[in-house]
Amino acid sequence: MDRRSALRKTSLFAGATVIMPSILSMLQSCKEVNRIDYTPEFFSLEEAGFLAAFADTILPKTSTPGALDVNADVFIDKVVANVYDKKGQEDFKANISKFNDEAKSAHGNAFAELSKEDKNAFLSVKEKKGGKFNSGVWGTAVGEQEPVSFYRSLKSTVLWAYFSSEEIGKNVLSYDPIPGAYLGCIPLEEVGNKWSL
Amino acid sequence: MPNFNIKAEKQTTYDAIVIGSGISGGWAAKELCEKGLKTLVLERGRIVEHVKDYTTMNLDPWDMDYRGGLTPEEREKHYKGIRSGFIGQDTEHFYANDKENPYTEEKPFLWIRAHQMGGRSLLWGKQTYRWSDLDFEANAKDGHGVDWPIRYKDIEPWYTYVEKFAGISGEALGLPQLPDSHFLPPMELNCVEKDVKARIEKDFPGRHMIIGRVAHLTQPHNGRGQCQYRNRCSRGCPYGAYFSSNAVTLPAANATGNLTIRPYSIVQSLVYDDKKGKATGVRIIDAETNEEIVFKSKIIFCNASTLSTTQILMNSKSDRFPEGFGNDSGELGHNLMDHTYRVGALGKVEGFLDKYYKGRRPNGIYIPRYWNVDENTKSDKFVRGFGYQGGAYRLGNGYAANLEEFGADYKDKIMKPGPWEMFITGFAECLPYHENKVSLNNEVLDKWGQPTLSIDCEWKENELALNKQIQEDAVEMLEKAGLKDVIGFDKKHEPGYGIHEMGTARMGKDPKTSVLNAHNQVHAAKNVFVTDGACMTSSSCVNPSLTYMALTARAANYAVEQLNKQNI
Repeated sequence: MDRRSALRKTSLFAGATVIMPSILSMLQSCKEVNRIDYTPEFFSLEEAGFLAAFADTILPKTSTPGALDVNADVFIDKVVANVYDKKGQEDFKANISKFNDEAKSAHGNAFAELSKEDKNAFLSVKEKKGGKFNSGVWGTAVGEQEPVSFYRSLKSTVLWAYFSSEEIGKNVLSYDPIPGAYLGCIPLEEVGNKWSL
Repeated sequence: MPNFNIKAEKQTTYDAIVIGSGISGGWAAKELCEKGLKTLVLERGRIVEHVKDYTTMNLDPWDMDYRGGLTPEEREKHYKGIRSGFIGQDTEHFYANDKENPYTEEKPFLWIRAHQMGGRSLLWGKQTYRWSDLDFEANAKDGHGVDWPIRYKDIEPWYTYVEKFAGISGEALGLPQLPDSHFLPPMELNCVEKDVKARIEKDFPGRHMIIGRVAHLTQPHNGRGQCQYRNRCSRGCPYGAYFSSNAVTLPAANATGNLTIRPYSIVQSLVYDDKKGKATGVRIIDAETNEEIVFKSKIIFCNASTLSTTQILMNSKSDRFPEGFGNDSGELGHNLMDHTYRVGALGKVEGFLDKYYKGRRPNGIYIPRYWNVDENTKSDKFVRGFGYQGGAYRLGNGYAANLEEFGADYKDKIMKPGPWEMFITGFAECLPYHENKVSLNNEVLDKWGQPTLSIDCEWKENELALNKQIQEDAVEMLEKAGLKDVIGFDKKHEPGYGIHEMGTARMGKDPKTSVLNAHNQVHAAKNVFVTDGACMTSSSCVNPSLTYMALTARAANYAVEQLNKQNI
């Protein structure tokens, strides 16, 4: 997508807390460039840059669109701005800051500024920590829900933003707005990707 | 839908007034109009015309600003209702405003209200089961509450009558404790549900697992379309495929030419005439203008929903009824019941990874009650019983978020559905306790300056014992059925979560201990009928709406007979 072209992204982040080594690493690989080209409703440019880098690392572009191709980060910014309450918003910012501090201790830089390898290494460690989401029944988690890390919570939010986007919902997943019938037992291969609705 | 006659200003006298337009009010309106009575339906909210006013019915997630999420303002507006987990961006316009309509929880109680034409008939779960004599005889046999003044034989023809019009899909089983309805073809179980059904029925003689019996059309019926398996029911169904007042009963009432429906009409009280010894009308407050108007009629049907009907009766004080309308017994407001909710078990299913389903079935499985149904199934821990609802499905985002993976390969993997999971969750009968009650609260007033309700209700020993058994049995059944990592759960939900409020103006044989007689008439004012959930004498463990429909049709038929004989 044009919106995500690396060239346009670079200019927007100029003037923020970018230091030379990371710019060099970005130039080496366009995929790692995390610049934003929208005006966030809620996040600072730096936080928005983090969100973009995070979403892109979880769901990168492959033969199918990546999280940034469907503006998952833009949607999350909109949701945090309009749906989260004040405490949720403050916590989100504090968590990003803490996440970046941890990235700095582990790899010497804020998450968005890390190389692809360092991002992967950092998130792989994050994957091992904290609780998992309990299954839910009719919208409520069952059993004792252990605290879920900011990492997994944000990963889940990225998945929601991605899979509920029009591009993925209509063109990548199996889209069937009016099924017309219920068939309880059919070969998965007849459907392919999971249903979007 | 053809135009409704909503101009009630000029005419203030009718043959009949129906308070409320939800499941039971819609039936009252249809029956009374079809029998030739000029009928005024008073609806406290706005008009919701079938199809035309289902503003969100075709929205995909990406069509909504926040894809379902509520803003802080919307959450504040529904600050009690959101506890249910049912209110989203696609449906919040069908849930009442909790700020304008406060209630007080003396003990925690969730009261879900829907203030518009059709009421909660737009939002209900559509699970539709007949009650049996196991239910109607329960109070008499174990001594809790008072005896029902009716038995299954009294209501059976009316079940048949309403089922044939409403359209109920399901599978006949021939169980005495869960009588079969007149069924349209059942919906299908999926692969995993079929497998679990076979295992449970083999290992647990006397237990059955069937597809839910539901008020969804599985074939065209009375001019309405069949279910298209979109599972967007609570936004309103453009096909009229599920039963709602908006799609089914009110259009039928309207077709007679006898219906007037007046929106924004908050019923303040019933008007009682001491000399005539009966009610002569209904006093309303216009929700938009705050104007007070009295409408007169020969008979009145109270169908405002369980607690709202009782609130109106309590607020209708006169010399004859200083403690509330028809409250000679002192039982008005008492014996509030619901069903226990979200206690059960959930587990992972191995295999079936090459199997999937098509369509979003607005229905799940049902396991009918099997405790205390005969001598062999008697429990020494509790009276009454429970049934289960549930279902099996393939996992989505939650499962994907839990995988310890990310990146390109991960993304490809989670394009496919996750593994299967299945849950069952019980609905247990709640006993009628005098001390579980509502009362008028003159300290907390609503937007229109009217007293509100205080609710004082809690589960007691028997309900907690039932919940314990629900969880134990659920875990045992799912484990025997081969599921892995089975977790039992009890969300410890307070009453109200079942959204099956019943009682507070119960039927009974004796005017000294009940508010209504066997025909849903107020004992002491025979031209007033209560046929919503307030009338219930016990709660059964099965969903109550079909019984409200049948009782309403039965009472309406009786009311017109009595009117014609000039008995009321």
